[in-house]
Amino acid sequence: MKKDFAKLNYYEMLDIGPDAAFFEIRHAYNAALQIYEADSMVSYSLFSTEERRKILELLERAYLTLINAQERKKYDAELAQAGIIPATTDKGPHRRPACIYDVKRQTGTTGLPKKTNKSILRESVGKNKKISEILSGPDINGAALKSIRNELGIPLERIAQETRVRLDYLNCIEEDKIDRLPAAAFLKGFIKAYLKSLCVEPADDISTRYMQWLERARKSG
Amino acid sequence: MAHIWPIGGGKGGSGKSFLTSSLGRLLAAMGKKTLLVDLDLGSANLHTLLDVPYPEKSFSDFIRRKIPRLEDVVLSTPVPNLYIISGAHDTLDIANLPYEQKSKTLRAIARLDYDWIMLDLGAGTSFNTLDFFLISQNSIFVTTPEPTSIENVYRLVRSIYFRRIRQYFTATEFKALEQEVTRKFGEGSFNKPDCIIQTIKTTHPDKGELLESDFNSFKFKLVLNQLRRHDNIALGAQICKIIEKHLGFHIEFAGNVAFDDRVHDAICQRVSFLERYPYTRTAYDLRELSKNIAQSGSQQLLLRYS
Repeated sequence: MKKDFAKLNYYEMLDIGPDAAFFEIRHAYNAALQIYEADSMVSYSLFSTEERRKILELLERAYLTLINAQERKKYDAELAQAGIIPATTDKGPHRRPACIYDVKRQTGTTGLPKKTNKSILRESVGKNKKISEILSGPDINGAALKSIRNELGIPLERIAQETRVRLDYLNCIEEDKIDRLPAAAFLKGFIKAYLKSLCVEPADDISTRYMQWLERARKSG
Repeated sequence: MAHIWPIGGGKGGSGKSFLTSSLGRLLAAMGKKTLLVDLDLGSANLHTLLDVPYPEKSFSDFIRRKIPRLEDVVLSTPVPNLYIISGAHDTLDIANLPYEQKSKTLRAIARLDYDWIMLDLGAGTSFNTLDFFLISQNSIFVTTPEPTSIENVYRLVRSIYFRRIRQYFTATEFKALEQEVTRKFGEGSFNKPDCIIQTIKTTHPDKGELLESDFNSFKFKLVLNQLRRHDNIALGAQICKIIEKHLGFHIEFAGNVAFDDRVHDAICQRVSFLERYPYTRTAYDLRELSKNIAQSGSQQLLLRYS
């Protein structure tokens, strides 16, 4: 048989169990509002204005009590004393809704690495002895660039994709086909882009050294 | 004993007769001997929906004692296994069925030998309608997702409650009860079945107990008919929840039936919607509904007429 709404306990009002988690309470409150709101089709005509106001007031009090951890503890103690719900000393960790996106996923297991590609690249450029040897060498030519790239294990196609420099130009640069290189004004920019995409610093200086080498090579060749 | 299912819903035009005829067709197709009784007295339509346009016998013949036994008024329909007691060509005063005739009808219906009997009841909450509801512990309420229709379902539920209480008392007892309830709960509380029940429990504990067991044994079902695409599909479940919580009736949500303009077309052409448009959402919903209903058994309430 029906019980008076005002005599229900807060859990019964919201149709949840005494062990409901906070997100369930919030969810139940929203569902109840949908039913009892003044413009709801469901409860239309079932209550007078006064009855509806009282119900909404009770619902709000129920929600505000249960959503507040301290208030809820007090209320639970009251209910437990009255023997309505079993007394629990510890409710254990609160349940949470299941995550759709697990942002706390361990790195190295699957999915995206934690660090971006660029920062890893920069790190390995700094650590690699052979690269620093090449960079401190006398000449920076196409072959030197190619060996840097091979050290980092990055395919030429990826550089072409990133820098938008045509693949055949890049090939010519690496193979040192001097007569087939683009004009110097373009070439310097291409070299810089190439170096930047490999995270080799300082791109400005190195590209200038490349251009100096090229000048010398052209004169001697 | 037959499973008797009264189908009503308070408001007119919510599709009670269409639903009755469709469920009848589906249950008959399941191999169950099914009888549909048109108890929408005074505005009977069921024969039209079942393609029996000129029934030679009708419910009036039983009332006017032209045909003494109700089973002889039964007509067969073009659908195998499906039978109908038609209300076509009823006498014009049939809507105001006198009390003795009504009890006679109720007793006769309860004795009929069919697997399933569905009663197509009219709109409104007249005593006749309510008493036909109370013939069985099961019944189906039909509503549409409109405030007017939902309002009437609540009203019907309350009226059935009230009517059942009334059946346990004589007129003078009931009058005394009314005074007692008003004294206890204030003006207007006699309209609230729960106030009445509380009073009965103190004044007539034995009857209070009987009533309570009656109400607990009711297994009502709610069908949300004519659900349009943008309507809230959770509405039916919410209505059941609020009826259970605030009126104390157990009512189970049996399912939505989608709105379809072609229902109108099928009725105009006087063909079966289920046969003409079997692959529509509405036809699918109706089939699911019939399965749900075929699975739930029913028992008849013992009639109490003083």
